[in-house]
Amino acid sequence: MVDRQTPVRTDGLGKRYRRGWALRDCTLSIPPNRLVALVGPNGAGKSTLMGLVTGLTRPTAGAISVFGDAPGGGGLHPRVAFLAQQKPLYPQFTVAETLRLGQRTNPTWDQAYAEGLIQRAQVPMAAKVGTLSGGQRTRVALALALGKRPRLLLLDEPLADLDPLARETVLRSLVEESRAQGITVVLSSHVLTELAGVCDHLVLLVAGQVRLAGDVDDLLDKHVLLVGPPDGRPPVAASAVIDIDRTPGSQQVLAPSSLANGAPGWQPFRPTLGHLALGYMRNEAPEVAA
Amino acid sequence: MIWVVWRQQRAQLITLLALLVVGGGVLVALGSSMVSYVDSHGLQVCLANGMETNSLCRKGVDDFQQAWFDRMKAGQLFITVLPVLVGMFCGAPLFARELEQGTHVLAFTQSVSRVRWMVSKFAVAALPALVVVLALQLLVEWWVGAAGAMGPLATGPFFYLTFDGSGTAPVAYTLFAFSLGMFVGAASRRTLVAMTVTLAAFAVVRIALFTVRRFLLPAQRVVSDDPTEPAAGRTSLVVHYGFLDAKGAQVPTSPNYNTNCGSTSATPTTTDYATCYRQHGLAKSFADVIPPDAAGTLHLVDSGIFVGLAVLLVLATGWAVRRQA
Repeated sequence: MVDRQTPVRTDGLGKRYRRGWALRDCTLSIPPNRLVALVGPNGAGKSTLMGLVTGLTRPTAGAISVFGDAPGGGGLHPRVAFLAQQKPLYPQFTVAETLRLGQRTNPTWDQAYAEGLIQRAQVPMAAKVGTLSGGQRTRVALALALGKRPRLLLLDEPLADLDPLARETVLRSLVEESRAQGITVVLSSHVLTELAGVCDHLVLLVAGQVRLAGDVDDLLDKHVLLVGPPDGRPPVAASAVIDIDRTPGSQQVLAPSSLANGAPGWQPFRPTLGHLALGYMRNEAPEVAA
Repeated sequence: MIWVVWRQQRAQLITLLALLVVGGGVLVALGSSMVSYVDSHGLQVCLANGMETNSLCRKGVDDFQQAWFDRMKAGQLFITVLPVLVGMFCGAPLFARELEQGTHVLAFTQSVSRVRWMVSKFAVAALPALVVVLALQLLVEWWVGAAGAMGPLATGPFFYLTFDGSGTAPVAYTLFAFSLGMFVGAASRRTLVAMTVTLAAFAVVRIALFTVRRFLLPAQRVVSDDPTEPAAGRTSLVVHYGFLDAKGAQVPTSPNYNTNCGSTSATPTTTDYATCYRQHGLAKSFADVIPPDAAGTLHLVDSGIFVGLAVLLVLATGWAVRRQA
């Protein structure tokens, strides 16, 4: 039975370039109607995973299905929109012409909706794309991606070259649109903090492998942050410890809540998404010799 | 899709149009100026009656050729180099520039198949270029044709500038050069590499085909009873030539077979070369030629090869475009 509802499902997916594996043994499922944070340090395989979903990249191993279809070299799945990291647009086109491009190349195009997005972003329609600021370019690229009325929107580092104010506005409009239209949005970033407040699903990639994937609430429930004295022994088996963060006055231990026991002097806290992501990223990082 | 590609190619199409207007204008001006030269110098008579009829004609034709022959050859040369320019400046950047700048990702992530994208780009960019080449070619042919045997046409349809600049040749060469540039650009993803490789590969293929051109059609043998006279007229394409003995068999070619009849010190000066040749066993001269009236057929075969190569290159471009990273 082909599952046409699940936006992305991968099974043992891998991609090897000449320099080595960019993504390996990736098995995950992105459920519908989520705002997904795809997080990982630089070079973790975030762009590779997006390339595999769009069909721009061919997998070396494993299988991937997007709304039940395998992405190929033919063209992008009509229900998927993608905004690449460089936000490619034709610089010699005006904003209006860029929307017309979307109209001419997408049967599901919604011109009024796309124009509305441009107007709300206050980008002049007659301006050449090449003359726009980074923030305006992002808004135009976003309108082009949303205008085809996708069910799955992939955004590769959409906020990377924006100033803090523009990040705020772009992110807010993105959240509004995705909630209003029922779109699954996958946002990749190496900075979790900017996504922490908005996303409800997390995929954490480290060194080409999925370290953590699931709905945010679930993940937070399954982990505990134990705060205790700086020289105390954590009340968790050493093998279960995900991360220890020592400060002069205390230490914070991140561990699965099922394996953590209460102990005198130790206080359990619900971790934040930041704790979780950072903890898992550090856990994977090679030990630095003292 | 057509609109998108047209909008992308707009600057290039305007450049092509400018080339057509300026190039066409210059050709029309040169051609009509030459026609009025022919009229005002009374050369029409010489054209009609053959050029060597009287000394007046000979002087007039000499002056005419002094003034116009090289210009007409330059016009033909222009048509001969036009295809590779189209390949380098229209074909090579077509996909290479997008792949270089990353804008292909924009095209690849709309709901249009990559093959349709490629075919649209190819059609919108190639067709106007072919039309411009054809229009300029016809103007040059009209201009050169007006000079008749006083111009480059005197040496027949196989003179390399005439052959390469007339018939189906310019359009076929342009289609080949364009497809070559397009494919190399799509495969290499580098504009400069694509332009350079297009220039080199086009030159190699053209020179190779030029070298084997005379073997593309079966040759006809023409024989002259006077062994000192070449059997082929100057307008034929000679594949092979030599001498026949009294029985009509081909005499094995020897580099000095006729020096014995020359005025070397070893032999007395010969005046009757034909007799001398016959005494040496060279009864007749022959040539295996492709006659001028087969020029059209040779054009078709030659162009067919280039169009065939172009088809392969277009298919290969489709493969390169569909290829995933």
